[in-house]
Amino acid sequence: MQLRLTVNGRAHELDVPAQATLLDVLRDELGLTGTKQGCNEGECGACTVLVDGKAVDSCVLMALAAAGSEIVTVEGLAAPDGTLSPLQRAFVEAGGVQCGFCTPGFLMTLTAALRETPAPSEDEIRAAIAGNICRCTGYTQIVEAVQAAARMEARG
Amino acid sequence: MPSEPAPALARNAIDFVDARHVHQALAALDAYGGEATVLAGGTDVVVQLLQGLIRPRALVHIRRLPELAGVASGERTEIGALTTHWELGTHPAIRAEHAALAQAARTVGGRQTQNVGTIAGNVVNASPAADLLPALLVAGAQVAMRSSAGTRSLALERFLVDRKRTALEPNELVTALSLERPGPRTAETYLKVGRRGAMEVALVGLAARLQLDDAGRLGDVRIAVCSVGPTAFRAHQAEAALTGSRGEEEAVAEAAQLLQAAARPIDDVRGTAAYRRRVLAGLLARAVSACVRSAMSEGGRGRCS
Repeated sequence: MQLRLTVNGRAHELDVPAQATLLDVLRDELGLTGTKQGCNEGECGACTVLVDGKAVDSCVLMALAAAGSEIVTVEGLAAPDGTLSPLQRAFVEAGGVQCGFCTPGFLMTLTAALRETPAPSEDEIRAAIAGNICRCTGYTQIVEAVQAAARMEARG
Repeated sequence: MPSEPAPALARNAIDFVDARHVHQALAALDAYGGEATVLAGGTDVVVQLLQGLIRPRALVHIRRLPELAGVASGERTEIGALTTHWELGTHPAIRAEHAALAQAARTVGGRQTQNVGTIAGNVVNASPAADLLPALLVAGAQVAMRSSAGTRSLALERFLVDRKRTALEPNELVTALSLERPGPRTAETYLKVGRRGAMEVALVGLAARLQLDDAGRLGDVRIAVCSVGPTAFRAHQAEAALTGSRGEEEAVAEAAQLLQAAARPIDDVRGTAAYRRRVLAGLLARAVSACVRSAMSEGGRGRCS
């Protein structure tokens, strides 16, 4: 079936089966493999992308249900010249990345959260990432990265 | 573990109906004669589909139907079927008057799930552990349904038939949930026990809505629970034991025994039946004392935890 959607600012028209998830389309049709498949049942958050600005698990969203939407994946966070977003830079500097598998999902969830709450408390940060699992960092460095990113954004 | 789509699904193409009007969705349900699955947020349906637990001939996508969205406060609170968990947890009218529902919604999954999972999806999926159900039961929720033949409304208590079974016919859509607004000196809460603070399926969930009469006694008492039986249910005998009391220890202990007797918990990966029964008594005591305190101090309409 025909699917039209915009991914990282670029319009696409694709032919996809009804049972394809948005994650299938991003990774297999569009080659955007930054978005990861973890649990494939909406528990771990590794597949988080923004759909019309909202963080959503792309593994449990039917691709056709996203027709007409604006999708942003981790590939869409950095500037076209490769300059990382403040949140991405903060993740690198704070050691918020170890094995890296969960990182794209965290970045997408937190990109949406920081737009909603630009200066979140530690509790607000931890609540925001309740739907993302990281098995390496123990979350502390991720929380520190978000606080650093919020400070960078505040300084402008 | 990453998994490939179920082979049976990969072989059998299914149809996708992206409904733009309610009548279009209802016509599709008629046309597929019980072999279509309604898709809203998809957080349950997509998992069931990928795991091969359901094999519909078509998905009828209702997410774009404006008739099923929105919250309105009139004589009752009308909550559109597509209202998401995030909206339930943040909507001012729901937070103010249906605190148990707002609290329950905030415990479901993470933000990603709350952004797309809908109130009607949680009701229709009818999981024994569905967090919204106890909160809706104590609010006297009515389920509004529509088919191409007309509309009907059923008390949620009667809508919930058994584990994952409801009174919804294959040709019907749930269009809204209608809740009783709380009167004066009324307070409610939803308490949940799980193994961790986030992304947890309830080991036991308990909602209470208590109204004090002019003499400070419990008048209208409503208790409902989930995860301790095949479906969430109102504990009418426990409610009766509390009615007329002031929430004293003896009355609560008697109510707890009746609640435990009404429950049919099982042993599963999350906990044992014996543990669930013990937790029930503790949650009931906490809910009653918190709600009584809140109903007295605030003159009602308060959240009580």
